[in-house]
Amino acid sequence: MKTKFLFPNHFERIGWFILIPSSILGLLNFFEILEFKFLEIRVFAIYSEMFPSPSTFFGFVSNNIANEIFGILFIIGAIFIGFSNEKHEDEFIAKVRTESLVWSVYANYIILIFCMLFFFELGFFYVMLFNMFTILLFFIIRFKYMIYMSKKNLNYEK
Amino acid sequence: MKNNLKVERAINSITQQELAKKIGVTRQAINSIELNKFVPSTVLALKLSEFFNKPVNEIFFLEETD
Repeated sequence: MKTKFLFPNHFERIGWFILIPSSILGLLNFFEILEFKFLEIRVFAIYSEMFPSPSTFFGFVSNNIANEIFGILFIIGAIFIGFSNEKHEDEFIAKVRTESLVWSVYANYIILIFCMLFFFELGFFYVMLFNMFTILLFFIIRFKYMIYMSKKNLNYEK
Repeated sequence: MKNNLKVERAINSITQQELAKKIGVTRQAINSIELNKFVPSTVLALKLSEFFNKPVNEIFFLEETD
């Protein structure tokens, strides 16, 4: 089937190769188990603000780019996984994909609303940090699960 | 919408897998059409009609709720 906006099937494997290491390294970096001191460099910033130093607008700041690298790699990997053609792509798979996407948007924002009500200050900052990635994560989990279930539910009559 | 795909398959003694392959879709697609869980596109309906050599509306039927 001809599809719009989807990557070729082999991009899915590439996606997993990017997603798994980047999420492990990203989490280790987040919990400060691993530190990437050598990634502390001067970068161009459109806007940067960190109390108590003065904010920077269109200038250079010192920043550890480990979280940026892992974040971007996670997003690229997740998009490759979620938006590659399945080995055998057809309109049924396309429907499952669309429905999973709707489902994940709902799930993501229901959780976000819950967190808005019960997480505050720095606590909510951490929620936002994870929320950037959960929508793709929920989508991939839901999509792969629905494909798996549709295969499992085939009634084996001849 | 309802369909008698399963009956047509039985008449032609063809499995879901074989039909899926001939039409160029997944077996899940055929299975979910038979279970009335999935309404196929016009293209797929026409392909099935061509395969069984029957008009589309002898394979697929509207229900009152449609």
